[in-house]
Amino acid sequence: MLFKDQLYFVRENMKKNKMRIFMTVLATAMGTAFLIVLASVAFGLHDTLIKDVLEQETVNQVQIYGKDDPNSQGITDEDIDYFQSLEHVRAVRKQSFFRQSPLVSLNGYETNPYTVAVDMAALEAGGTQLKDGRYATSSDEVIVGYHFYEQLLEKGTDPEDMYDENGERIKETLYQGKLIGETIDLTVSRLTNETDTEEKTYQLTIVGVTAEPANEWQQDQSLYTTFDFYQSVSEYTGTPGGEMYFQEEPMDLTFYYDEVTIQSNNLENVQALTDTINDQGYYGYSVASELKQINMLFTIAKAGLIFIGAIAVIIASIGIFNTMTMAVTERAPDIGIMKAIGASPKTIKQIFLLESSIIGIMGATIGTLVSYLISFLVNIGLPMILEAAFEDQLPEGFQFSSIPWTLVLIAYVICLLVTLISGSRPAKKATKIDVLSALRREL
Amino acid sequence: MIEVKQLSHQFELGKKDKKTVIPVLQDVSFSVNKGEIVTLVGRSGSGKSTLLHLIGGFLPRQSGTITINGMDVSNFTEAQFAEFRLGTIGFIFQNFQLIQSMNAYQNVELPLILQGVSETARKIQALETLKKVGLEGFEHHYPSELSGGQQQRVSVARALVLNPLIILADEPTGSLDSETEEDLLHLIKELNESLDITFLIITHDDEVAKIGHRSLMMHDGALIDQEVK
Repeated sequence: MLFKDQLYFVRENMKKNKMRIFMTVLATAMGTAFLIVLASVAFGLHDTLIKDVLEQETVNQVQIYGKDDPNSQGITDEDIDYFQSLEHVRAVRKQSFFRQSPLVSLNGYETNPYTVAVDMAALEAGGTQLKDGRYATSSDEVIVGYHFYEQLLEKGTDPEDMYDENGERIKETLYQGKLIGETIDLTVSRLTNETDTEEKTYQLTIVGVTAEPANEWQQDQSLYTTFDFYQSVSEYTGTPGGEMYFQEEPMDLTFYYDEVTIQSNNLENVQALTDTINDQGYYGYSVASELKQINMLFTIAKAGLIFIGAIAVIIASIGIFNTMTMAVTERAPDIGIMKAIGASPKTIKQIFLLESSIIGIMGATIGTLVSYLISFLVNIGLPMILEAAFEDQLPEGFQFSSIPWTLVLIAYVICLLVTLISGSRPAKKATKIDVLSALRREL
Repeated sequence: MIEVKQLSHQFELGKKDKKTVIPVLQDVSFSVNKGEIVTLVGRSGSGKSTLLHLIGGFLPRQSGTITINGMDVSNFTEAQFAEFRLGTIGFIFQNFQLIQSMNAYQNVELPLILQGVSETARKIQALETLKKVGLEGFEHHYPSELSGGQQQRVSVARALVLNPLIILADEPTGSLDSETEEDLLHLIKELNESLDITFLIITHDDEVAKIGHRSLMMHDGALIDQEVK
């Protein structure tokens, strides 16, 4: 018997009791929709969290905080060479913090920025974009953070006058001039004895402004210098990074990096890279490790919710079992005639299994469409309800429910499997129908 | 064409501990030649229907052998018999056994569907067969819209449509009036002569028995007489 003809048979049979079939499909659709919508919450929250993590610039980075070695005082150039020799490393960013916040003057404005020496070439190689300008190439050049200008206060102004009664910065008090190409006076202090200090002013040119941080809450008000300038300051103060500390004996000014960030060429390699580095005795940390834990947690949550949802489909399958059993009983005389003519038990079984599968597929399809609609409405409606009820705004791009194709596939497979199982017993019953009893209408 | 050897059959009635065994067929042996019309006559309960059901594979054989068209079907499984039936044997039943939700054309088309014949070929064969039994123009009539004689003709067309070698008929005129009975018998005779189809017909009607080349008489599960015409 051709598949096309089996389909025709099933269609004709289904037409005979439309209401019963409709109710069965409805129950299956409700079960499938429940499964998908329930699991979509775990998928949605997972997606939101992952998106949030991935949006962080640090996602393909491994941060090195030190070395598990009692004789080591920090990360040296030798360590940097080792990091650079590793596979999957795109760039090694290193930085050293100034131990004092020097006074910076620019066109009548002043600030004491957080100052960091960075490897400009590595930043460029690592793909860190600038908003304006270029990276510094000599020790008298600097770049400033995206929010640096917000820190600049007009000389002699009381900082309290900069803010209105709501604590918001008054726009007119912000530095309005240009930054690129401007020269700043950077004044560094040092202790000449236990109590006295003296100052030195360096003239540096701003050549670049960093790009806006990925997240709104991040502020980049730092001043970035070259390592050569960092060394100049260390030599002037006689302490590493210009630390305000006095000692008669000259201090060891060996250069150590305070923080090293390794950028991987690929997100997938971050975890392997972190493991390699940690195995070598370094203290490395990457967001990828956190991502792994998040993924595991959500996989468990998704599996749990799919399992609970599957129970609804199983309950719906009782309806399919009932419908198919009724269909077999009602059609027993016709089955008897078909068998008498020469229909094999296999053909009879296939027709009934096909019918229950079609009910399952129809239910799964309607359930999936309804789920997408519910998911869409939830994603639109829920933030509005939450905002109205709690007067709290949800983060941008927050997704409460998400239905990936894999979830639809899982729901279809579960639905089809359950309908096949529930249809198999009635189908088997149909094959066992005794021809003579059926022809005598005894069934 | 059909060869039955030492066929015996019994029915078991009642529950396990109170079983009653009723012998229905006892050591029945006979054969039907190709192109022959053989009628099986006898009173009700003589075992003629059981014999036909065993030959048709509707009942599992208990002892003896059945050979159809040179093939021993005695040990066929249900599925094997179904396949064999479809290609070799056609059935005509007393109460027509048509599917009520299908029209005449669909009822005749059914064996072709089961055999996996394409839609175009099906249409040609089914319409041709309906024409052969004189039901041209009745294709779209449902069984409830047809007379008893017409329904039996649909049943004959359904049995004929796959060009079977044998047609087994169980009281084919049992539900018909004398005029339609005559028409049907005429049709059977015609089909036998023109298509060389072998008929094994169960009847207790003398008129039906007359059309056979041979008549086998059954009594209490055994063949007691044979009449060659």
